[in-house]
Amino acid sequence: MTPSAVSLEAVTARFAGPGGTEYTAVEGVTLDVAEGAFVSLVGPSGCGKSTLLNMAAGLLAPSVGTVRIFGDPLRGINRRATCMFQQEALLPWKTVLDNVTLSLTFRKPRERKQSEELGRLWLKRVGLEEFADRFPYQLSGGMRKRVAMAQNWIAGPDILLMDEPFSALDIHTRLRMEGEILNLWAGSNKTVLFVTHDLEEAIALSDEVLVLSAGPAGRLVGRYPVDLPRPRNLIDIRAEPRFADLYRSIWTDLREEVLKSYERADYERRHAS
Amino acid sequence: MNAPKHSPWIWVGQAAIGASALGLWEWGARAGTLDKFFFSRPSDVAARVWQWVTSGSIWPHLGVTLLEALLAFTIGVFLGVLLGFLLARTPTAAVLLEPYIRMFNALPRVVLAPIFLLWFGLGIWSKVTLGVTVVFFIVFFNTYRGVKEVDPVIVNNARMLGASESQLIRHVLVPSALTWIFSSLHISIGFAMISVVVGEYLGSSKGVGYVISQAEGVFDTTGVFAGMTVLAAVVLMVGAAVERLERWLLRWKPESPIRAGERDL
Repeated sequence: MTPSAVSLEAVTARFAGPGGTEYTAVEGVTLDVAEGAFVSLVGPSGCGKSTLLNMAAGLLAPSVGTVRIFGDPLRGINRRATCMFQQEALLPWKTVLDNVTLSLTFRKPRERKQSEELGRLWLKRVGLEEFADRFPYQLSGGMRKRVAMAQNWIAGPDILLMDEPFSALDIHTRLRMEGEILNLWAGSNKTVLFVTHDLEEAIALSDEVLVLSAGPAGRLVGRYPVDLPRPRNLIDIRAEPRFADLYRSIWTDLREEVLKSYERADYERRHAS
Repeated sequence: MNAPKHSPWIWVGQAAIGASALGLWEWGARAGTLDKFFFSRPSDVAARVWQWVTSGSIWPHLGVTLLEALLAFTIGVFLGVLLGFLLARTPTAAVLLEPYIRMFNALPRVVLAPIFLLWFGLGIWSKVTLGVTVVFFIVFFNTYRGVKEVDPVIVNNARMLGASESQLIRHVLVPSALTWIFSSLHISIGFAMISVVVGEYLGSSKGVGYVISQAEGVFDTTGVFAGMTVLAAVVLMVGAAVERLERWLLRWKPESPIRAGERDL
């Protein structure tokens, strides 16, 4: 059996809280993502979704447990993955082209010419070839996300980590971006771990949806294979009966966790004063 | 830069304010409202500056002052950027040194001038040292803050894309701190000039500060004002050059907050 692309083995993340207290973001989470799969991680806000993603990225070491990437224990940054963040992560002082080729600048600083060619190819692929010499501030939010997408894919990672990458976009731009991600991913054999709080987005895109419990000390409460056929039409998929069935069955679990997170937020608000 | 600043009317208005202030001064001095002995006259000051420039007597002094300021600025910026980076990247060192840096920064630098005169003599180095102590702290604090306030998401993204520590400094931390460093360069240029002139004023045999102090010693108000005029003109020219450089280096910014702030000054 081939090892999973990403596997978290009983990982726990604790942080130092205010006044010497300890905050447990996630506790004893075990999950694995098969190579080439598109897996989404959903859960109410504050459940530790991003914490799990940061552990897979190697940006955060688990307090307890092991992270394995293709079977090997992860130490330091995950060199086989890139991460698309929710916030803007482009370098504002570099042009669009220089941003897209950033990973090549880091890894092959001598091969500027080839990097530039490849960069222009990717810009064409995301429909931004005329914007190569602009700076990020001169682009719209959706265009900047496209640049970030090209920046991630050009690095040729085996694993793509995405932390609510489209949550700041309007619904139409978001649909288009989701479609573009699926097109790029289809047949690439790349593994995607996609964090979102939007269950519809998770079902529409993924092979499998993982539900996390409300934080603190978030746990994995359910795994749901999504057997919708591919390629998927993201505009119409939400109207399909099978989509509605899946949505209902996952939502019963997620709903409970969302309600718990509300209760906890109310409790904390009352006790904060 | 927005439109109103470039409008010719703004320019005319600015010129009118300056002209009327000078006119009032000139008129007051001529009418006897202002004592010419204490206040001189703009026309006399202009004549003196003109005489200094045409006779060439001001150039060696200006040269010395500029050399001192340039050295103070260069050394101060170099040390400030270097130490700012080092301390921002090594938190332990920052914690250990913090009280001492604050203490030295709290010290009014003018009181150091006599000490430096004793240590380094009447030549240029006592002035350069004084200037360095002023420039260093401005640049140091801004660099430190600039490096500290880099967006962690940008840093994480660069690390995920394969940046080594030195690449991180070159491609992410330095450019990110540049805005802060540049806002300090603006101020530092002026302060470098001021501190070396103060140094010259307190004890030297050359420089614009020396010229001013000599004029003051013989109650030559015109000479004092003329010295000030020369200084102001030079600082403005150097400042404009720095601003050009800055505009080029920060061309990725939609509207530089530095210039926005400067307009408020």
